[in-house]
Amino acid sequence: MYYPSKLRSAVAALLFVAGIVAAFQAGYFGKEILVEIALYALLALSLDFLAGFGGMVSLGHAAFYGIGGYAYVIMTMEAGVPPLAAMALALVPCFAAGWLLGIVTSKVRGIFYIMATLAFGQMIYVFTFQNRMLGGSDGVAGVPRIDLTAIGIDMNDPSIFACAVVVATGLVYLVFSRILTSSFGRTLVGLHRNENRMRALGLSVRWYKAMASGLAGTAAGFAGTIAAQHTMFVSPGMMDWTTSGEVLIMVILGGLETLIGPVVGAAFVVLLKHEISEFTNHWHFFIGVFLIVAILAGGRGLYGSLEAGVARLTRRKSEREQEPGKTTAQKNPEAGNA
Amino acid sequence: MLTDPGYLFVQFLNGLQFSMLLFLLSVGLSVTFGLMNFVNLAHGALYACGAFIGYSIAVWTGSFWAAFLLAPLAVCVIGAVLYGVLIRQVRSAGPLTQVLLTFGLIFIFLDAFRVIWGDLALGVSAPTLLATNIHIFGQTYPLYRLFLIALGLAVYLILWLALERTNIGAMVRASVDNAEMASCLGVNVERLFFAVFCTGCLLAGLAGVAAAPIFSVYPGMDLEILIPTLIVVVIGGLGSLKGAIVGSLLIGMLQTFGQVLIPQLAGSLSYILLGATLILRPEGLFPARAH
Repeated sequence: MYYPSKLRSAVAALLFVAGIVAAFQAGYFGKEILVEIALYALLALSLDFLAGFGGMVSLGHAAFYGIGGYAYVIMTMEAGVPPLAAMALALVPCFAAGWLLGIVTSKVRGIFYIMATLAFGQMIYVFTFQNRMLGGSDGVAGVPRIDLTAIGIDMNDPSIFACAVVVATGLVYLVFSRILTSSFGRTLVGLHRNENRMRALGLSVRWYKAMASGLAGTAAGFAGTIAAQHTMFVSPGMMDWTTSGEVLIMVILGGLETLIGPVVGAAFVVLLKHEISEFTNHWHFFIGVFLIVAILAGGRGLYGSLEAGVARLTRRKSEREQEPGKTTAQKNPEAGNA
Repeated sequence: MLTDPGYLFVQFLNGLQFSMLLFLLSVGLSVTFGLMNFVNLAHGALYACGAFIGYSIAVWTGSFWAAFLLAPLAVCVIGAVLYGVLIRQVRSAGPLTQVLLTFGLIFIFLDAFRVIWGDLALGVSAPTLLATNIHIFGQTYPLYRLFLIALGLAVYLILWLALERTNIGAMVRASVDNAEMASCLGVNVERLFFAVFCTGCLLAGLAGVAAAPIFSVYPGMDLEILIPTLIVVVIGGLGSLKGAIVGSLLIGMLQTFGQVLIPQLAGSLSYILLGATLILRPEGLFPARAH
């Protein structure tokens, strides 16, 4: 179950402010890294929505990232749709693809779901890679950015662009936080916990799974439209299954089923990658070691461990405050989620 | 060209050779998968280990055959160490934990290969005994590739005999079918799993060293073969020898002939097949487990 607890909101606000400050204070390279973190954060938090809360561990999430990017490119560069409208319209195929994937895989569970999404992602990847119309393995360059000069915003300014991306990420976070506290979100978590019981209650499991998959795909596709504008370039590389794997790593390193944890994980992995690249180009090794250590340590991830630690402290504190005789009745039901 | 029987025959042999390579890799993965529901994405990395170690042994000793015999054993030892240190601890965890742990191993192996053997592709030459071409139907075909086909078939035969005609094979089949019941009957499923896992690693190493003279040896070769192997395992059905060989032949032939006949779609074909299998027959073509 998801609660926008104080700790979560505080960490989210802190990260948001840090992102805005970095957008204006950091150097050119720092801004690039900031946008990269924000894009991965969008992917990771939408994957957490699907995998952590919905129990559908996808290894094909990057496909939506690519679909969004390519849809934006086709609409702006081939169909002549204005960039801002294209950004919105590009989300339609992302939602549709996610929805269809959800429908088709609604009865597939566990490792088979992982395999099915892997197959889906690779299918899209290989199709794009081999399709000359989509630029093949070279991708497409010269992608336009949205034009907001009418309201005095210049997207070609790196600071403004980075700031806009951070704001977009924040908004998507709020949207998912809202969805998870709605009855839809509660139902989704219920499905994850006990699918048969939810079915017995008369719910259309298939519809909920398809919607969850569609929503997660839409957010990943949204990240894709931003990524296309950021580098002004799309290539099949952005939807390789190893990208999906990396996003999954971020979710785990940050904290599965916490929503803000994956954002922390994205920042951690991207920063680590760049820090390690300063002295060696073997960052894969270190990420691999971190991942294995995190899993063997219980798999809570960075933020998840913080949350568990805080919960333990508050529990100890409340136990100490109580009279020795009264301890039986009052358990703290919120402690685990606080 | 497509109507030329000689050309098609050569393609058939190519398909068969690729299928046998997939078989060597998928059979170990499939049985560990079926036996303990353990997902090992690092299986491809063990294949690459076989190729790299084989390369080094071939360079040191100057003999391909030494590499051919020793590299699989080395990979088997690596697998046993991995099992003892890491895999045993997550054996009963969910698929997410297993996928991520073995994904982490892929990353570690990738950089280990780069540090030890460098980024460049390394060539291994086929043994002089097999480094000739032979003539079939007016076409020349490298003898080494035929050797690879024979190797795959021989391994299949040995595994079939071991699984169907020996006591240990019966224990493996019983454990795949119902591990709890098998352990009630006195089968040490844990030890059996370890043995099967090591055999899988041995075969992955064998596939690696056998593939080295055909493909070159480079970091990233594991990722390239991993996906087709996983597809074979899922399509064939978990834990079955028959599934592994049929799945390998299906994917091997599909990829080879797909590239010749419909090159635009070739890459996607096996994924389409995998998607269709998962939706229509999620347990695969020849699942070992009774339902």
